[in-house]
Amino acid sequence: MIKKLTFLVLLVAAMSLATTLTVIGPWAGTEMDKFVPVLNEFTKQTGIDIEYKIYRAEDLVNVLPAQFLSKKAPGDVIFMWANFIREYGKKGHIMPLGNVINSEEYLPGALNAVTVNGELYGSAYTGKVKPGFWYRKSFFSEHGLKVPTSWDEFVGLLEKLKNMPNLNAPIASGNGVGWPLSDVTEHFLATFGGPKLTYDLIEGNILWDSYTVRNGLEKLASLISKGYFGEPTEWTMALQQWWAGDYALYFMGSWITGMVDDPNDLGVFALPGAKGVVFGADYAFVPKYTKYPDEAKRLIAWLCGREGQTVQVSQGGHVATVKGIDLANYPPVDREIAKIIQGVTALPDLDDTIGGEFQTTFWDQLKLLWVSPDRLDDVINVIQEKAPRR
Amino acid sequence: MPRKRGSKYAAFFLLPALIMLAVFVIYPVGRTAYISFFDENGTFVGLKNYSKVLTSREIIDLSGFSRGFPLGALVHNIIWIAIHLPLTIILGLSLAVLLKGVKGGSVIKSIVFLGMVMPMIVGGVMINFMFDRNLGIVNAFLGLFGFQAKSWTVYPDSALLSLIFGSVWLWTGFSVILYSAGLETIPKDYYEAAELDGAGPWKTFTKITIPLLKPITVVVATMTLLWELKIFDIVYVTTAGGPGGASNVMALQMYICAFRALDFNRAAVVAVILTLFTLLVSIPLVRSVRDDKR
Repeated sequence: MIKKLTFLVLLVAAMSLATTLTVIGPWAGTEMDKFVPVLNEFTKQTGIDIEYKIYRAEDLVNVLPAQFLSKKAPGDVIFMWANFIREYGKKGHIMPLGNVINSEEYLPGALNAVTVNGELYGSAYTGKVKPGFWYRKSFFSEHGLKVPTSWDEFVGLLEKLKNMPNLNAPIASGNGVGWPLSDVTEHFLATFGGPKLTYDLIEGNILWDSYTVRNGLEKLASLISKGYFGEPTEWTMALQQWWAGDYALYFMGSWITGMVDDPNDLGVFALPGAKGVVFGADYAFVPKYTKYPDEAKRLIAWLCGREGQTVQVSQGGHVATVKGIDLANYPPVDREIAKIIQGVTALPDLDDTIGGEFQTTFWDQLKLLWVSPDRLDDVINVIQEKAPRR
Repeated sequence: MPRKRGSKYAAFFLLPALIMLAVFVIYPVGRTAYISFFDENGTFVGLKNYSKVLTSREIIDLSGFSRGFPLGALVHNIIWIAIHLPLTIILGLSLAVLLKGVKGGSVIKSIVFLGMVMPMIVGGVMINFMFDRNLGIVNAFLGLFGFQAKSWTVYPDSALLSLIFGSVWLWTGFSVILYSAGLETIPKDYYEAAELDGAGPWKTFTKITIPLLKPITVVVATMTLLWELKIFDIVYVTTAGGPGGASNVMALQMYICAFRALDFNRAAVVAVILTLFTLLVSIPLVRSVRDDKR
């Protein structure tokens, strides 16, 4: 009896002393299925258990400020917007990671978005590329269409597509929170204003009503007003409609490869002349109020390091931010995407990097532009009001 | 003497509730009003935050009156009230009167009430479907009259109206149930006397039903007004206040200030304005009932 009781006490003590880290991320469904093996691998290697909780960044932003004020955190490693990490890193609610993350091991600029005055408050996990307009190879070959190599050819292709009777519009427009439209817009800005424009807009070095920005937006607005873009439709529904042939082109990120029935039928092209593509990394941080600071730092270093990212990219749909990962680890379709960013400048996501009220306004104003391209001036004025200024 | 001891006990039993009220209602309200006069560094700025908020185009956008939507969150709330409130009252009263004593009327009332039972987040998703270009019942109906289909919630001129009309469906159940209960309280003798005096159905309705239902109307109007002023979930889910702020409302603006701009002082200002506006419109209604009782 005494032996049994001792065993029970020891068991309870061991259970209460065991470390279980909580990781909070936005991925659910198939995306979560591809993330969980990474966490499992960490547990296998270290013996540290991990509980994964799903919270979208839009929901976390409601929860975290109050939690931080009461010196609490809902997780030990949390995936969140870069601007939030910067903001709350500055306020002292987030642990600096300079001693566990070696920034030289990452792609140039990959950690800029989570660095404040030389202090690193977060780390870049894998990312997704937003390379351009996706199309179905079978659709293009069936209709004798070719990938455009100049702006005129691009407009010619859109005109040809517009005249096809069974299409709703040449390009599907993803709606929802707002990022699908902002991704297209950023691509136009980077193409017609050059890759540096993205950085200038992030830092507030250039105004939204400047010639350079306006030029890119006018090009986009002219295509919208000619009916080349479809009516904004919830983005996953638009994806299905595009795949079913209601639209010919769809501007999306590389995650699309994991969302279609036959990834081998996918083709993608950037706007002719594009010298930069947006590479949106996912960022994670360790809150100051974690119960297990050492284990949490160990986890984030492993996740964002070569080992963790290798497991993640092999699952498909992700591109590494850390250097030195063999392309052989990527599934074939992602290998092609990983190659794309090798030839052009990898740009940060404009609205994710600025974040805050600018992001909400930017998304919302683009929704207006999509249905009222004649109100471009209003759109530019409102965005300018919320944009960063040096 | 017993009365005095009773009041002592009353205070004792009321204390827990009062403490809860103080902690969870009075303190947060006071604190919100307090921080609305400070900037983010904790410096007292007087009415500066109020001036900033009230002159921002997100709250009132006068240029919208010549250009079209958006007109500002406060104006949108007023439009919401101007359309939604009378429609809810008229529809609720009409349905309650028409379904009174009708066989199967309670089933129809239950169906109408489903909108109230449903979480408003789900209601917002339903509104999105209702006004969708491909799936929506609205386009299916309008298509019968030759209207071209479109997604009504994505256009600035129709986004707010779509939300308002969609929310009428969600909220009408409330007024139907209240009016139905109110109708049961009117003595039949009044109608019989009116009939003997030769009053027709319209006269009976306007001279007996409507006046005797006034307390119910005040309750319906007050509750509906409060609901309209704090409307958030439907807008957040359906349009997020867009496009271009064309369907933005005060509660959503408060959320944007607090959780997107992370500017809690500005959010507090919007909250105070919303509270004052709520008091401004609801106190006269409550007073009118009190005066009637006297």
